[in-house]
Amino acid sequence: MRKVERSNDGWLQDLQSIGLSREAALKDLRIILLAGLRRALAGWVKTHGREFDALAEDFAQEALLLILKNLHSFRGQSRFTTWSHKISVRVALTELRRRRWKDVSLENLLESGEARMLMDSPAQGSPDRAERPALLDWVRKLMAEELTEKQRRAILAVALGGMPLEEAARRMDTNRNALYKLLHDARLRLKRRIARDGVTLEEMMESFSSG
Amino acid sequence: MKDRMGSWWKRLVASRRGARRPAEKLAMLARMAEQTADQEVGCDEVYELLDQYADLVARGEDPSVLLPAVHHHLMICRDCKEELEALLRVLTAGQP
Repeated sequence: MRKVERSNDGWLQDLQSIGLSREAALKDLRIILLAGLRRALAGWVKTHGREFDALAEDFAQEALLLILKNLHSFRGQSRFTTWSHKISVRVALTELRRRRWKDVSLENLLESGEARMLMDSPAQGSPDRAERPALLDWVRKLMAEELTEKQRRAILAVALGGMPLEEAARRMDTNRNALYKLLHDARLRLKRRIARDGVTLEEMMESFSSG
Repeated sequence: MKDRMGSWWKRLVASRRGARRPAEKLAMLARMAEQTADQEVGCDEVYELLDQYADLVARGEDPSVLLPAVHHHLMICRDCKEELEALLRVLTAGQP
């Protein structure tokens, strides 16, 4: 069957109808999503071969269900196909992140050298631009005094450990949005404390970036 | 299409370039603190607007002007930025 070009209203009309129009729209949208996933997931997985075809088919099917369930929420401020690709990309990347990180526990990350570097007890002393160990002690002090335990763990896991928000959130019994807000509050506390201590961020960045 | 994206895109890409060495990560933490705004939108709100943002980019418009809060979030949130990049790979391929 020839693929029909549809406007946003055309997509909504066909997907909300019954019979041949709906079937044709679903078939066309599936093809569009599959082609999109091949582009979207470049760099995440090999985007050719039977394994990818099966994976993409699963993602597209799950995305189609979500699209149909949420048609009422499409606001028409973008192209319908862009909105649909967005849903498909979220489905795919959520699963790929889960697979990539499934064997990494939060405790693994928090026991890493980098995390220990920042979690260990800070020594006394004020920051000195010329001495990185003193500055590191000061960063430790900052984190110990300004952040909650949960915020420290989140910063270390996400910002330093590279763990995706969704994955960290799952391990911390929260959700991605709430974790972002927790991290925002943490960043804000650090920013304000840095300003109160009279250290410029340029000095910090120069010190950490050099050597 | 990347030529149409302009310097604001290059700033966005540069802001999230991966860092491996501990010193680089601490520098990244310092940069994140410096970029922190008093009010920020969360991932849910950005997700709602991501398609709109992506279409603006695809048309060569500057979303940092039209959706500044979303743009700011994307400079900080690696996960949301990955999703935007994936979406833009789709749109730049000329797919419908």
